[in-house]
Formats: sequence, C-alpha cells, structure tokens
Amino acid sequence: MIEAKNVSKMYARGVYALHDLNLTIGKGEFVFLTGPSGAGKSTLLRLLLRQEAPNAGQLIVNGRSLSKMNAGQVQAYRRTVGFVFQDFKLIPTRTVYENITFVPRVLGQPIAIQRRKAFQVLKWVGLQHRMNAFPLELSGGEQQRVAVARALINDPALVLADEPTGNLDPDLALDIMNLFRDINARGTTVLVATHDRELIRRVARRTLALDQGRIVEGQ
Amino acid sequence: MRALSYFLEEAGRSLWRRRGASLLAAGTSAVSLLVLGLFLLAGSNASRILERWSAAAELSIYLTDGATPEHRRAIERELAASGLVSAHSYVTQAEALRRFTTQFPDLAASARSLPTNPLPASYDVRIRPERARDAQVDLLANRVRALPGVSDVRYDRRWLDRLIRVVGVARTAGLVLAGLLVIASCVTVMSVVRLTLFARRQEIEIMQLVGAPLAYIRGPFVMEGTLLGLLGAVLATMLLWTAFAAWRDPLVAQATGVVDAGALAFLSPAIVAGLILGGAAIGCLGGVLAARGAR
Repeated sequence: MIEAKNVSKMYARGVYALHDLNLTIGKGEFVFLTGPSGAGKSTLLRLLLRQEAPNAGQLIVNGRSLSKMNAGQVQAYRRTVGFVFQDFKLIPTRTVYENITFVPRVLGQPIAIQRRKAFQVLKWVGLQHRMNAFPLELSGGEQQRVAVARALINDPALVLADEPTGNLDPDLALDIMNLFRDINARGTTVLVATHDRELIRRVARRTLALDQGRIVEGQ
Repeated sequence: MRALSYFLEEAGRSLWRRRGASLLAAGTSAVSLLVLGLFLLAGSNASRILERWSAAAELSIYLTDGATPEHRRAIERELAASGLVSAHSYVTQAEALRRFTTQFPDLAASARSLPTNPLPASYDVRIRPERARDAQVDLLANRVRALPGVSDVRYDRRWLDRLIRVVGVARTAGLVLAGLLVIASCVTVMSVVRLTLFARRQEIEIMQLVGAPLAYIRGPFVMEGTLLGLLGAVLATMLLWTAFAAWRDPLVAQATGVVDAGALAFLSPAIVAGLILGGAAIGCLGGVLAARGAR
C-alpha cells in the first residue's frame, strides 16, 4: 500500500526532516508512527497527503509514485485518502452535518448520496443526534469524532491521522483509537502519528519509531 | 448544474455574512457604472437632439430694410439654381415679430412697446438633409451674402458642427473617466473577494486536502465577484432610470422650443443589457483575479 524508497526531505540547508527513509506498509495494516517532536512524523504525513514533495527518493502509494503526479492526479489521489488532524480542522461556521457533507459536496456528489453517507458515518461515530450542532458547541472528543466521520465519508482506502488524540484526555483518546481500529477492521489502511507511548501500548499495533528523520525501530 | 448551484449558494452565503463589505463593493461598482451610464445616456440623447437639429438645419437670410422685390427675386433665383435647397419661405417683419413674441412671451410686451419693429424680414431656407454637410452650402451662403438687399446670412450647420465636436470630446472624456472608475470597481470587488478568500482559508485548505477540483475551490469566489458586479450594475441602472424619469420633464420645460420631449429617451434595451452584463463581467474579472490566490 505504502512504500518509501530512500525518501529525504530537507527544509533548511543540511537539516533533514526525513533522511533516506525506507518503509513498507501493507494494505489493510494499522501502523503507529511515533517519535519525539521534530522526528519527521508530520513531514511524512504531509508527503503522503502530497502537500509537499520529497527532495529525494520515491514515495509510492497503491503502486503510484506521488512525485510523478500532476495537479489533476493529486486531486484524484487525495479523494482516496482520509485525514484527521490534532486541531480537528472543522469549519466553525458550519454545522456538524455541513462539515461532513462538505467533502462529497465539493466533489460534486448528488445530495441524496451526501445525505445517506453523512447519516451512516455520523451513526458510526455516535453523533447522529448532534448533526445540527456547530463545532464549538461540541466537546474536544466529539469534534474529533466529527473529523473522523469526515475522513471516512468518502470511503478512503487510506486514513492518515496526525496526533489525532493530542488535545484529548486518555479515555477520549482511547475512544478515538477504537474508531480507528474499527475503520481498520473494515479493510482500510490506517497510519496514525502520535507520541503517546501509553496509547500505543494499549492499542498494540505495529509501530514505526522515527528519530531525526530516520526509522530507528519497528522496520 | 450541481456545481452552479453550489457556487451560487456559497457565494450568497458569503455575501450575506460580509454584507457590509459586499454593499461597499456593489456600491463602488454601481457608482462607476452610473457614471458610465450617465455619459452613455447624455451622449445618446445629445446625438439624437443634434441629429434632429441637423435634419432641420436652416440657412437664415436677413434682408436690409431697403430690400426691394427685385432683390428678393435675385435671392430666390440663386437659391433655386444651387440645387441644395429643399424649401424656402419668406418671413416678413410682422411675422418675425409674431414668432418672437410666441417664443419669448416674457419679452412680448417690451417688443410691442417699441416705436418700430426692429426685426428684419428674412428667408428661412431648408437645406436638403443629404446635402446638409456639403461644403457647397457654405459657398452658397457666401454668394447670397454678397447679393444686394442682404444684411446677413446665418447657417445653423456651423455651430452644430462645433457642438457635435464638443459633445464628441465630452463623450470621450466621460468614457475615459468611466473606464478608470470601472478599473477601480474591479479592484474593489477583487479586494472584497480576497477578504472572503482569507476568511475561508481553512475551508480552502480542507477542499484542497480532499482533492476538490480547482473549479470547485475557485468557483464560489468567481461567483461572488460576478454577483457583486451584477448587483452594482442593477443598482446603477435603477438609479439612472430614476434620475432620467425625474429630470426629463423639468428639462423639457426649461428648454421649450429647443428640446422636445420626443427627442429624450432612456438607454435602449440593448445598452441596458450591455451595462448590466458588463457590470457582471467586471465583477467576474475581479473574482477571477482574486480566486487565483486559491490554488
């Protein structure tokens, strides 16, 4: 599913965020990416979302090299990826329902399909009763559930999460992780970046540890 | 169709959310289009009036007090031989006074109180419309002026030509001014749409991350600019029509005998449509320029 071949990303001259990184993540795997701040976790996720391109090496997802994609191909690729961020990235002026249907809407899907998908994912994250609430009326855990629902509405093959529990207390964090486990159980590949060792221990999945842009454990 | 409805809904929502700035942009757009419309309106009416005056251009031949019937026959022979004249009529001194008192009733009593009629007898000579701009008319005027019994010859065409030139210069100046205002309006719309773009940067980021097509990302901003321009243009047209309706009758009353009500008309439907679509196009351009920031 994901293959990194000698991937390097350098922001300042001589300072590598990722250095000659090699990794393979199989289809349907659930993998934690961990390491201290500045280890390169978020950089790798940005490369996988094709927000940035590596300076060297190749990043291959589903057999396609991300660096060789043109703008249209990047758009098509991103439609197959769900993402969840630490700060939720919900639109505060839109309701939960509108935030979730935002994705199928901007992809031009018919309203009936948008509605059906929104009800399905909201029910799945247990927030069908809050669909008319605005994000700021929700707790942190609920907001992250909405973000997870939004990531899933398009049935992605790959879900990327960058510190999805960083703003949540341990119990809520475990709830969110259980959602990711459920997503993974349906066959979706899940890659979660977190520095929360305790959470990783409780979920007990494959873990790749990064330090100074290199994989130091779990390869 | 779904995309268009999405653009309209998003643009409408954004315009309403920032209605103060939106009104300002639409207002600026309206002012520039109003100036353009005013010049178009004034220009088209001035052209129409000048055309009527041109069609009615006359050569006026004023006679001396001592003009004899023989002098008059010589004048009439010259006019007939020129081939430029469609009709002519002799105006006696009494008829000239009657016309004067009719056209200037306020001065009628004063004119009648004079011991003698000061107005000269004259010929009103109607030039064939197709020959009105012919240089031969000037030569005819010079020949007639040299005949005995003639004190002066006036030809409307000369000052009409001057007036047409003045109107042309004023129209060009107006169009340049309106052009500058149109650019200003485009920049204002662009600035307002850019503000929207900044306020919605998080939505844009999310749209980019979910792989929304570029047209879907930029469309609402282009639509917002178009709606602002359209709103401004409709506002300008309504103001222009209101001003025209309010000023037409007083203007005709002020200029009795010079301008008749039939000569004044509002802009043609084609020009109104052009003004409104032009406003929408200016807004659209502002929206497109601003939306380039959403990549």
